[in-house]
Amino acid sequence: MKRDTTILQRALWMVCVLGALLGGTASLAAGPAAAEQAQRQQSQPLNNAPVWREVRSGEQHVTNIKGVDTGVLIQSGGQTWRTLRNGPITLYGGIALCAMVVLLAVFFRLRGPIMLSGEKTGRMIERFSTLERTAHWSMAISFCVLAASGLVMLFGKHVLLPVFGYTLFSVVAVVCKNVHNFVGPLFIMSVLVFIVLFVRDNVWRSIDALWIRKAGGLLSGEHVPSYRFNFGEKTWFWLGVVGLSMLVGVSGLVLNFPNFGQGRFVMQGASIIHVTGALVVMTLSLAHIYIGSIGMEGALDGMKTGQVDEAWAKEHHELWYDEALQSRPAETHAGSMPAPARV
Amino acid sequence: MARMKFICDTERCIECNGCVTACKNEHEVPWGVNRRRVVAINDGVPGERSLSVACMHCSDAPCMAVCPVDCFYRTDEGVVLHDKNLCIGCGYCFYACPFGAPQFPQAGAFGLRGKMDKCTFCAGGPEENGSEAEFRKYGRNRLAEGKLPLCAEVCSTKALLGGDADVLADIYRQRVMTRGKGADIWGWSTAYGKPDAPAQPPAAGGKS
Repeated sequence: MKRDTTILQRALWMVCVLGALLGGTASLAAGPAAAEQAQRQQSQPLNNAPVWREVRSGEQHVTNIKGVDTGVLIQSGGQTWRTLRNGPITLYGGIALCAMVVLLAVFFRLRGPIMLSGEKTGRMIERFSTLERTAHWSMAISFCVLAASGLVMLFGKHVLLPVFGYTLFSVVAVVCKNVHNFVGPLFIMSVLVFIVLFVRDNVWRSIDALWIRKAGGLLSGEHVPSYRFNFGEKTWFWLGVVGLSMLVGVSGLVLNFPNFGQGRFVMQGASIIHVTGALVVMTLSLAHIYIGSIGMEGALDGMKTGQVDEAWAKEHHELWYDEALQSRPAETHAGSMPAPARV
Repeated sequence: MARMKFICDTERCIECNGCVTACKNEHEVPWGVNRRRVVAINDGVPGERSLSVACMHCSDAPCMAVCPVDCFYRTDEGVVLHDKNLCIGCGYCFYACPFGAPQFPQAGAFGLRGKMDKCTFCAGGPEENGSEAEFRKYGRNRLAEGKLPLCAEVCSTKALLGGDADVLADIYRQRVMTRGKGADIWGWSTAYGKPDAPAQPPAAGGKS
């Protein structure tokens, strides 16, 4: 019993010492500015310049009102946030998206879809498993939903509001906001699954140097040999999926859950990162969607059915095709058997 | 038309929080929302000052500029109001406002924001003046009744003033003139030295 009391006394003593130390630090921190004001009102009565400097500092002062940042009188970050968001981000983001659409339309007009140079063999080879395709499409669909709802939040005021009118646009915007907030975490989860599934085949290899040297054969029309993914696809994986999508995802979580008491400074920063990153990834995604659909014959089949024609595999991913043939069971090798029934 | 403004006199505010309480009671503001707050600087030490702050009804209002659904509007008297039927609770006005005026009642789990609430300068909202719908969403419309904001009216030291800017400016000017003691006017001694300091002799060779 006596021992317990001693421990209690010691604990109390410790708390007192710590409290005194903390209190001392706090009063020291508040010291210089307060002392300056005290001195100033002696030398120049009614001159509150030191106090007004503190008002403008954006620091926490004392208030009885509970809440986020309630002790701050003036927070200047909002002005920067407003200037960036309403200015360059909206302007250049809009220009970038439109420019990419125009660029792809011009490219499609000039180059047309990249067709297979040889004949289709009719023999199919598995490119993406069901799990891989599910991960891809979960990510793709949630990405499109997020992109559309996000664009409404940024550009809707300028584009949709004049057409829809205030009431209808508000309904659209509130639906978009809630859809965006709930689909966001699903997108992050599908991105994580996607990264786990695809990271192995997206590691850079020495053959990628060839693809870089020939710019992917994009202009020459030449086919550059590559393993399962070429350097262009790997770049999109690392930049678009791992880099930008995670950056946008994490900043989105900060904005999505204000219940952790983040202050305005954190929110403004997260918002700028989120919007900028999202506009960049959306612009780049247009090119990915183009080449994966109308831009290249047979590309969509791989992600749609999981199967690609052997001719396609040989032309676009020769090294992967060779590997796939090697690992194939002998009886289905190189057309010794008729094409599978599902073709 | 009068331009409505607030001013808080730091020489008079005694941090009683009367304005906060009056506002909350008058408008039956939801739990967790405070349209006005008092902040003390240098609390408890010499040089302490306190200020009451709410929406300042800015001329170039950042909330208005960033609202994605454009739900803000300005009255003829310069009061910045918003339409809660349009507000989507995105929080952008809270990011943009330097004074922390926009407030959000929690509308669901994980801090889901409800419709924004802020000081209306006791001027209600877009609904019919004095209607039940207006009171429920925005609180009392005292301006429509010919009264000024309650926070300022209730202020025991008249530190917080709210109303026609010209009238407020006259009152404040009167205070400054009354408080000022000759050459002790704000900043003069910084610029011109202490009033009792000996006058500087004119530089040799200069004109008289």
